[in-house]
Amino acid sequence: MNIQFSWKHGLIALAVAAAIGCNGGDSSATTPTVENKGTEAAPAAGARKAPTAEGNKVDGDVIKIGIVGSLTGDQKPWGEDSIEGGKMAVEEFNAAGGINGKKVELITGDSNSKAEGAKTAAEKLISDGVVGIVGEVASGHTIQIAKSAFDKGVPVVAIGATKTDLTNEGTHVSRVCYIDDFQGPVMAKFAYEELGLRKVALMTDNKQPYSQYLSKTFGDKFKALGGSIVKEAFYESGQTQFSGQITELKAENPDGLFLSGYFTEVGPIAQQVRQAGLKDVKLMGGDGWDSPQLLTSGGDAILGSYFCNHYNNKEDRPIVKSFLEAYKKSHGGKEPGTTMAALGYDATKLMLDALKRAKSLDSKSLIEAINETEKFAGVSGDITLKGFNGNPPKRALVVEVRPQSEGFQVFRKAYEADEIK
Amino acid sequence: MTVFPHLLAGLELSTLPQQLVNGILLGAIYALIALGYTMVYGVLKLINFAHGEVFMLGAYTALFTSWSFGFTEVGNKQDSSPGILILMLIVSMTVCGVVGVLIERFAYRPMRSQPRIASLITAIGISLLLQYGGQLFLPSSPPPSISDKVNPFKGNIEIPLKPADSALLAQAEQLKAKVTSTKAAYDEQLKSEKDSFNLSPVGKELRTASQDAERDYRNAIDKANKDALVITLPQGQVIMLVTTVILMVILTWLVMRTTAGRAMRAASLDFDAASLMGINVNTVIAFTFFIGSALAGAGAMMNASFLGGTKIDTFFGMLPGVKAFVAAVLGGIGNIPGAVLGGILMGLAETMVIWAGYGNYKDAIAFIVLIVVLLVKPGGLLGSNKVEKV
Repeated sequence: MNIQFSWKHGLIALAVAAAIGCNGGDSSATTPTVENKGTEAAPAAGARKAPTAEGNKVDGDVIKIGIVGSLTGDQKPWGEDSIEGGKMAVEEFNAAGGINGKKVELITGDSNSKAEGAKTAAEKLISDGVVGIVGEVASGHTIQIAKSAFDKGVPVVAIGATKTDLTNEGTHVSRVCYIDDFQGPVMAKFAYEELGLRKVALMTDNKQPYSQYLSKTFGDKFKALGGSIVKEAFYESGQTQFSGQITELKAENPDGLFLSGYFTEVGPIAQQVRQAGLKDVKLMGGDGWDSPQLLTSGGDAILGSYFCNHYNNKEDRPIVKSFLEAYKKSHGGKEPGTTMAALGYDATKLMLDALKRAKSLDSKSLIEAINETEKFAGVSGDITLKGFNGNPPKRALVVEVRPQSEGFQVFRKAYEADEIK
Repeated sequence: MTVFPHLLAGLELSTLPQQLVNGILLGAIYALIALGYTMVYGVLKLINFAHGEVFMLGAYTALFTSWSFGFTEVGNKQDSSPGILILMLIVSMTVCGVVGVLIERFAYRPMRSQPRIASLITAIGISLLLQYGGQLFLPSSPPPSISDKVNPFKGNIEIPLKPADSALLAQAEQLKAKVTSTKAAYDEQLKSEKDSFNLSPVGKELRTASQDAERDYRNAIDKANKDALVITLPQGQVIMLVTTVILMVILTWLVMRTTAGRAMRAASLDFDAASLMGINVNTVIAFTFFIGSALAGAGAMMNASFLGGTKIDTFFGMLPGVKAFVAAVLGGIGNIPGAVLGGILMGLAETMVIWAGYGNYKDAIAFIVLIVVLLVKPGGLLGSNKVEKV
């Protein structure tokens, strides 16, 4: 059994290596699989298939664009923010005149915080005649949207889906956020160099592909830097008692814990970690932590922990300031609670920008135009998709969790795309 | 042939006592919920599938009670007092008890003369109604959680199982001096650094030295602790266990020593004969539902407030409900001590699987245990072996 298994893996690795060819050759130690490719190394031609279906066309005076988000369920904070961002982008676009007098209509779909929900919502939007879909925030949901959209030839611009192999679904998928191959190593570098951690334990949500892969990329980089991963414990979304797993981690006496799951479980884990007597262990995570809800569920235990995020409300780039001003004006003076508002705005604006450049107003030309995007000025930074197979090189910010009175996320250090190899 | 050494190689014996304690703490909550299943089954021969949802409503009641005391947002309130916790417990138990009685009165009683399968389907219907209907009026997206300020017992109790090795402790003490000196050097350097996240090379070196010293010290302390087999008990969970035991003692007294309890036992022995003897079976059944549901309410309140930050949604009771049901069947459904035994065994099985390094399968093990027990002893561990047609 074992022998067969490893043989199979070896064969697959060989085949993939052959398909990629000697692409730079700097990936060195790790087996070069498609998943391991970072932002700068492009997967082989043919890895991303172009959809053959014709897609939707604009007829009449209204251009329909769809956006999918979680308006109900656990991930409502992200869904609401991303859709608010999308609406802002469309309003600005229409106010500026639209395209040749044609106005854009944004149709929303609710994924109900579930992968099946995202699939149904995407299919409904496509049958309603949208030329493109913006969304989603969660990788597991976006993969379903991408699969449905591939069959119909409709482009998808993902908002916050960071799972690396997402864009392998086809040339119709691209995103405006960084990927887990970047995010995991960023946190590993930060943990090793800035926090000085050497022994880290991982806690992975077995029900979330996002969490599994993020744990892996973090662990690989942390080990490459010279640190050691002393243990990986598994839990599942919805679990409430973590004492069994925490006891196992505590036995290894780690300096830090990397919690790669979503904020709904990270909060209770943090509290139980402290109660189990691990008082000084540093807690870290990815962008799945990004919700003010974390402060309620994590209480005092989560304060002083670090996570990786896409942008920060306090940045002083002019585009961030103008975005926040516009957002506050239409939302009663409130700043967006999560970064998904900015990313939703960027994703929608990018699609509208591509629509302007497209040869004709249909899905097929839109896919081409999206993939030609260069130096698009987004709130979360410049976005270039041309030559990057849908994965734009982005910067990542490490933030510290502070009480709401200090602004929840306090910026600590930024990493540019080319800083992580 | 060499399977066993291979399987046992990864086991860490020093965490075994701690994991056994974890298992009992976890199992106590399962036991509390399982009692509700088993009592209702004992009297009515009905599996009350809505029991998990009563548990969920108990968690919501605790949440609303905590809100009414002002624990709505982070940082706007000092730690609460034990009095508030007791009040939350009583409110949750009462509300759940009443909900249980209402469910029995309006959903199960009209079905009582019908074939038993009709009641079973009604139970599933009520369960789904509360899970999905609850979303209309209960806050569930994003799922709220009880503020960590509600629980004033955040510390832990450390109990060594044997006296610590003085040589190991002395070794640890020796390392302490280095920790202090390296830390002082690093702190001195920090004063001249602009940003602790962009240290100069000298600063980084000093920090690494300080952290290395600290790590050595921590490892030494950890070694001493492991040698003394120290068990760490979070205070909140100890309170949960004590409360559970108190509730179970009260239950035993109710069932064994009071008239109502005698009526309950009579009804569970022979429903028709009991009613012929002048026992008001409707009252007995309502009483049974009240007690069973109140216990679930207590479990839910403690689960949601002592395991701080736990998210509460309308599916909160689903997994604990299923596991408690398995616990009840495992111990012999209809048998009260059996439910407690089953609950504890379930908790132990779950943590033992994690201890053995198979955390991925911890939920599967619950059902494997159930299947094995039912194959060997169909009536459950403490149940009668009478064949029951369902």
